Amino acid sequence: MKKLLTLCMIAAFGFTAQAQDKGSVLIQNATVITVTNGDLEETDVLIEDGVIREIGKDLRAPRGVETVDATGKFVMPGIIDAHSHLNGVDINEGRNPVTAEVTMEESVDPNEVGIYHALAGGATAIHLMHGSANVIGGQGETLKLRYGTTQEGMKFKDAKRTIKFALGENPTRVHGQGNGVQPRTRMGVEQVIRGHFDEALDYKRKREAYLEAKANYDRRGRGTPPVPVAENLRYEVLNDIIEGEIYVHCHSYRADEILMLVRVFNDYGIENYTFQHANEAFKVAPELAKHGAMTSVFSDWWAYKFEVYYSTAFNASILNANGVINSINSDNDQLLRTLNHEAAKVVRYGDTSVNDAIKMITLHPAIQLGIDDRVGSIEEGKHGDLAIWSRHPLSIYSKAEMTFVDGVKYFDRENDPDDMRIQINPGADFDDASNFREITTRRETDACLQDAFILLAEQSAHNHN
Amino acid sequence: MRKFILLLALLFVGSGFQGIFAQTTPANALKNVTIHNADGSTTGSATIVWRNGVIEAIGTNVSIPFDAFEIDGGDSLHVYPGFIDGLSTLGSPALPRTQDLPRLEDPGNPPYHRAGIQPERKPSELLTEDNNFEAAMKAGFTSAALYPNGFMLPGQVEAFYLSADHADVELIKGTMGLAGSFEEAPGGWGSGAYPSTQMGVMAQFRQLMFDATALQQHMKYYEQNPEMPAPDRDRVLEAMFPLVNNSAPFFFEVDTKEHIERILKLQDQFGFDVVIVSGKEAYAKADELNQRNIPVLAGIDFTDAPEWYAEMKKKEEDTEEEDAEGEDSEEEEISEEEQMYREKQLDAWKAEVSNIKKLMDAGVSVGFSSAGLDLKDMTKKVEVLLDEGGLTENDLVALMSINTANILGLNRTHGSLQQGKNASFSVFDKAMTEDKAKVLHSISNGTIHEFKGN
Repeated sequence: MKKLLTLCMIAAFGFTAQAQDKGSVLIQNATVITVTNGDLEETDVLIEDGVIREIGKDLRAPRGVETVDATGKFVMPGIIDAHSHLNGVDINEGRNPVTAEVTMEESVDPNEVGIYHALAGGATAIHLMHGSANVIGGQGETLKLRYGTTQEGMKFKDAKRTIKFALGENPTRVHGQGNGVQPRTRMGVEQVIRGHFDEALDYKRKREAYLEAKANYDRRGRGTPPVPVAENLRYEVLNDIIEGEIYVHCHSYRADEILMLVRVFNDYGIENYTFQHANEAFKVAPELAKHGAMTSVFSDWWAYKFEVYYSTAFNASILNANGVINSINSDNDQLLRTLNHEAAKVVRYGDTSVNDAIKMITLHPAIQLGIDDRVGSIEEGKHGDLAIWSRHPLSIYSKAEMTFVDGVKYFDRENDPDDMRIQINPGADFDDASNFREITTRRETDACLQDAFILLAEQSAHNHN
Repeated sequence: MRKFILLLALLFVGSGFQGIFAQTTPANALKNVTIHNADGSTTGSATIVWRNGVIEAIGTNVSIPFDAFEIDGGDSLHVYPGFIDGLSTLGSPALPRTQDLPRLEDPGNPPYHRAGIQPERKPSELLTEDNNFEAAMKAGFTSAALYPNGFMLPGQVEAFYLSADHADVELIKGTMGLAGSFEEAPGGWGSGAYPSTQMGVMAQFRQLMFDATALQQHMKYYEQNPEMPAPDRDRVLEAMFPLVNNSAPFFFEVDTKEHIERILKLQDQFGFDVVIVSGKEAYAKADELNQRNIPVLAGIDFTDAPEWYAEMKKKEEDTEEEDAEGEDSEEEEISEEEQMYREKQLDAWKAEVSNIKKLMDAGVSVGFSSAGLDLKDMTKKVEVLLDEGGLTENDLVALMSINTANILGLNRTHGSLQQGKNASFSVFDKAMTEDKAKVLHSISNGTIHEFKGN
């Protein structure tokens, strides 16, 4: 029997192990929260080969396609977390104030069991971000929560490239106070950004001039060859930001620093950017709306450091009412499992409409990650990334019952084995390895500064010595 | 003219001396031994004759030259081709202690050596005293590819004949490639430097390749155009040229399948040849490694078997011995959850110990590297490999001799016992897989090292 159970588990799970599998399913008779076209009652959703083919009544399942009876239940687009560090190998390359060249694409742990826990909360995609130790941190990677696949298999194909910026206390503490290098103040933060953009533009001119001269020299084979200018990964990425190929997601809290970055980006013609956390964004909501700047905030989390005291639970609602595209994020592996509750709080506190609140965890993060043409709402032609909820997803009593990514069922509450880990250390005995409480609590509460906290502690010890 | 005659005379005398020298170098002979060939076959009552480090004759029908120094195996000794450690840090200077690292003014721009970027270092210039040289010989190794201890780019890989005294450790082949790993810059968080993360190492490696490419271009241009500004020569970047030009392989130490994916990604970008070192989870990528023609110098530093499993095995053996007489020992009471866990744990362990077998079955070229293994544990790990890892004794001998020689490009001279090949082999008191087998003589490049009282 025990063997059989294991076998079932492997069978149930084995099919997800292929990279970027596509599945088909017909979900029948649900209340479908489309996000873009209202809530449709007693409606079916047919997903074929990973794509939503049809939304309507009394749809017929093509041959061999599984049907799920969702009578009395709700279907919602998969939750997208625009700010997560869920399965990063490392989070902060915190040794230089600017590390645009590093990318979380190369720091993905596909074996993290937290991916499965997030699926159990109805989430289907996350924005895996670099931390906030650096003014210009590393590039982010948008992942689909295809648990059981490879690093490559988790990638949200053709998602917009993103990068992390950080203002305020974190970069000034790590670099200015910690290492005695710029920036030590908010003024310094601005100059680090401007300085590096200018250097990057200068590099681009030199590099292009060199490549042109080299091509000429190699073709003609006479004259004096140019002195080579090496390709520079950091400056290449900074130029990609300036050219609009990379969306910026900027860790920020205070209204003054938020406007500072808007001004800097105006100067360099950078248009697509989202302020992360942005607890004081409500103070400058009209200005943000005017510049098309977006925000991704907590529903009600603050006061964990000085720059985060001036905060309000009305932040999301005020931003929304002013026309700012706002999302609610977790930045926390536990909160990620209940982002529906976070969205519900926006309705409770600020009277935002239910649909607008749901947008904040579906369509809006999708816009901020440049994937809204494929996910974030339930529409024909979009990806089959959705969850079936026992009740309205903003109800505190509601549970995600099934979660699909590309039409493949990755979570099913009815068939939810105790131990879904896919990586077991053979050297760990049962007592050590089975302690899930320990496994989950060791996750950082403020992963943004993961790694860097240790850095700060050791630095302060060093400085005192 | 007179000078010419003198020269001729000198040449004559010189060659004469050489001739005399060659004739007076005595041969060595080992007779009445069992030879275990690299292909798995054995030859009983055999004789090996070697001179000047080269095997002159080997087999059952060999006449021993009159001048040979003879060792009689008395038909009880077993001779194996000298095992080759495919990659090891034997004789390497120790790493600096973290607390000795100077604090950096600008941790984001450390000097190369401070960031663990030292591809210019050669083990032949750094070898130092190390008790493990002798330990390796006692484990049957007669040669090894070495690299210095370090971080992301610790240095070059060179092959050596082993000797207990590091001063006698002779070079077989210099600069066979570069060693590499995803090890971040030393110092950790207290006194660390860029790159301090996995992703940082990836980025920094790329930047080094770009910088080396530009420097090489500049040097080429300058050679033909001395009127242009001279390049800033740089030992570190110049040591990267073999990777830029794909003229030497990258011996890359990785274990997890994710790390293997990462090095393959770098290979796709830069096109160099890769040899995977250690590769604990290489089995998960076996087909891809085979397609890419990437060999693995596999480690055998396995995790210890799960305690409950070891106990169970022991009990099974004991009951067999007791002829199943008497009562069953009381079954251990465990929960269903624990039972499920044990099954997963055992699967994970079995996957680890059958790594080499799975790679071989998939057609991957697999050799051996000690990769951090404490040689004291060698016998124990080999036992696991044979009992649980699906390897036969023949596989094992081939793995550590000819397969490793093939991967290192030493197979013309090393890795098997044949006439004309280098005289590097080990003489065991019994078959090496038997209990308490030990090496009595280690012959490396023809020199006999004798071990007594071990």
